[in-house]
Amino acid sequence: MAIIRRVESRAKRITLWVMGLLIIVPGAYGFAEKMRQFILTLNTEEGAGFTIIPIANYFLIAGGMACLFGWAMCNGMFGNVEEPKYTMLDHERELDEQDGVDWSKQ
Amino acid sequence: MAKATAIAAGNAGTGRIVDTDRPLVDEKLVLCFFIASLSYVLIAMLAGLLFSLQFLQIYPFANSEFFSPGRWRFVHTQGVAYGFIANAFLGALHWAVPRLTGNRVLSDKLSWFILFAWQAIVLATVVGVLSGEAQALEWGETPVWIDPVAQLGLILVAINFLTPILKVKGPMYVTLWYLIAAFIWTPLVYAMGNFLPEYVIGGSAAGAIGGLFIHDLVGLFVTPIGWGLMYYFVPIILKKPIWSHGLSLVGFWGLAFFYPLNGIHHFLYSPIPMFLQYGAVISTIAVELVVTTVIVNFFGTLVGRGDALRTNLSIRWFYIGMVFYFTTCLQCAFQVTLTFQKVIHFTDWVVGHAHLVMFGVFGFWILGMMTHLLPRLMKARDWYCNRWNHWHFWLSGIGLFVMFIDLMIAGLIQGFAWRDLAPWEDSLTFSTPFWKLRTLTGIAIVVGQCFFLMNVYMTWKHMRGAASTTPMPTPTGGGEPAIA
Repeated sequence: MAIIRRVESRAKRITLWVMGLLIIVPGAYGFAEKMRQFILTLNTEEGAGFTIIPIANYFLIAGGMACLFGWAMCNGMFGNVEEPKYTMLDHERELDEQDGVDWSKQ
Repeated sequence: MAKATAIAAGNAGTGRIVDTDRPLVDEKLVLCFFIASLSYVLIAMLAGLLFSLQFLQIYPFANSEFFSPGRWRFVHTQGVAYGFIANAFLGALHWAVPRLTGNRVLSDKLSWFILFAWQAIVLATVVGVLSGEAQALEWGETPVWIDPVAQLGLILVAINFLTPILKVKGPMYVTLWYLIAAFIWTPLVYAMGNFLPEYVIGGSAAGAIGGLFIHDLVGLFVTPIGWGLMYYFVPIILKKPIWSHGLSLVGFWGLAFFYPLNGIHHFLYSPIPMFLQYGAVISTIAVELVVTTVIVNFFGTLVGRGDALRTNLSIRWFYIGMVFYFTTCLQCAFQVTLTFQKVIHFTDWVVGHAHLVMFGVFGFWILGMMTHLLPRLMKARDWYCNRWNHWHFWLSGIGLFVMFIDLMIAGLIQGFAWRDLAPWEDSLTFSTPFWKLRTLTGIAIVVGQCFFLMNVYMTWKHMRGAASTTPMPTPTGGGEPAIA
């Protein structure tokens, strides 16, 4: 027996988009702003070495994640965005049943 | 025991079969990590309790250098971070990653090596710190000679777990995203925090790196693994999918882009350039938005299954931890503002905040996972005494909540006293009743852990006594299954 796939409600989709915009847009702005500061700091003598390390650290971590995000987009990781939550549960049930755990009762 | 003959979970639809029937999960290994974790939690909490006596001027080892309170404070913090939390996470990951991906970890032998090597690292840290070899770096007090070994250990852990994860084809479940990030971030964060200030950078720049390190250790190591495991354990216990997988991904990517900026908020009003300090303040407040998505998602999942909070102790640990997580992040959004910092900096407010994060959130989640998994790992039908588990929960929960409130109020009183230039001794007099209550709450928490440890031991002993060889897994479930 597979986990029931339900059609996602409109409210859920609206929540997703609103929260997504609230987070991704400022996140992208913050990334761009840090890039600007990074370039400006490189071109100033005073404190360049002093401030560059924390900013470089941010780029090391966030830049890597930006590459990962691009790779995920190109490889269709966000195609059917809700499907993984069902497949995960389906396979957990299969594994539990091999162990003798009955999912129909607690 | 589930064999690796199951269709690889991460290869849904592809029908790929793993070509061996060796167990997918090495349950004995998971059990060993959990036992190590529980051993350290008792040592670390007793060290914290011992340290608290110093504030009441009744510290019993005042004349012993080896037992000096400053050193035992490090045993408390390092023991919790690397002994309790890291061991428990490693155990839970050895359970969750193979089951989520359908692939075993890279090498079972490597996993066992990591188990013993990690205990050696933590024990060496304790001995080194007590011998006076601690580094002057918050959360990085590990002696200098241990740092490269720990770094190597973290890289091995990453390789061992990333191998099965990267074999997954098709859209990945959110837990795996969090884990990929954690395995990449953690070695980087550890290297940044332990090597740059020690060998490369000095002065205020080293302070900035230290700030990034202590916060990134929470945000880029503990948080992604903790949330990743919550996204795994909550649905499988409720037997219900997460409310919105899309929203969970929004939360993940938000964390990835906001969190790395946060750390400098530990050094507000310092010589670090103000644009970096303001950036840290803004991104910390923005993280609250990310946290909101996660909280909405988990409480959305609970809709229709609210009874699980009453009937299932693991779910109760998880959700109380989530409430504490939201509280601590909300607190964080305020306390990083310059206005708040004027009052609370250097006070016990910060200590209360740290306890809420490390024990109230991640500790509670870990204890919930253990409550769910340990009987199954010990091949027991059920816990020896469920009532002891409830005592464990209530003593820990009430103890921690009272400690948090107590230290928060104490912090405000201390902060306002210092701001108003009251004599230092006055602030000590004001603080003493709060410190007494803090010690009492600490005792309650330690007693709670003793109930749990006793229960683990008695469950194991009872199982052996009954000579039961038939596995009877009993996930302490909750709610109706959503299966067709």
